[in-house]
Amino acid sequence: MDALINKRIQEVLKGDQTAFAEIVELYQDKLYRVCYRMLGNKQEAEDMAQEAFVRAYTNIHTFDTNRKFSTWLYRIGTNLCIDRIRKKKPDYYLDATVPGTDGLDMYSQLAASDERPEDEVVKMEMQERVQYEISRLPEKYRAVIVLKYMEDLPLQEISDILDMPLGTVKTRIHRGREALRKQLSSM
Amino acid sequence: MNSCPKEIVEYMHEYLDGDIHPSHESVLKTHMQDCASCANHFQELSKVVALVQGVSHVTAPVGFVNGVTARLPKEHKTVSWRR
Repeated sequence: MDALINKRIQEVLKGDQTAFAEIVELYQDKLYRVCYRMLGNKQEAEDMAQEAFVRAYTNIHTFDTNRKFSTWLYRIGTNLCIDRIRKKKPDYYLDATVPGTDGLDMYSQLAASDERPEDEVVKMEMQERVQYEISRLPEKYRAVIVLKYMEDLPLQEISDILDMPLGTVKTRIHRGREALRKQLSSM
Repeated sequence: MNSCPKEIVEYMHEYLDGDIHPSHESVLKTHMQDCASCANHFQELSKVVALVQGVSHVTAPVGFVNGVTARLPKEHKTVSWRR
């Protein structure tokens, strides 16, 4: 796979857009899936995933072919989604920490913009409910949970994608799991 | 549960990461045999993992590739000449 991708990248570097379309074909589902799970909205996911490919194209000369292409692509995509999530919520959400709670409950103090009434949430289909609860997680937990459990990626690769130490990835997965446990306790 | 050793929850996460030392694992298992609250906590965490993993895969919408191509900057003129 990587040998084929590197060949296509060489062609793209020579200015061949058709070769890039082949790369998009190969990775579209992976990238769209991550964006969709992080954003919880099909239209936004399509927009962000397409934007990620456009940025990959314009920055392709910066890609180190000794590394894994999917890691690089995931990084572009998750960064775009994280930026989008941050822009959508009020400023105070960003740095809000609740003293003495180990950072765990900060999200629960603040209503997300698309928060739904309790009785509506109870009636959701299981899959819809899980997606909804994921989209209520703070983005820093959301990214690790999506990459770990929906993409089934090794912790080291998640650490490379998100450009953070392995220990931080683990802590965020632990907190993400605890947060989801509380949110899903009624199921 | 408030009287439980603080590291028990930490061991649960180590276990779920597939990254637990055998000595921690035996402490965790012994504790959960006696503590219904921690056993329940662990079961809820395991359920979260199963639920999140169970969400079905979505695929990119039809026309996705064309959508990307349409958004790409125009090719360099030198390349078009060579064709």
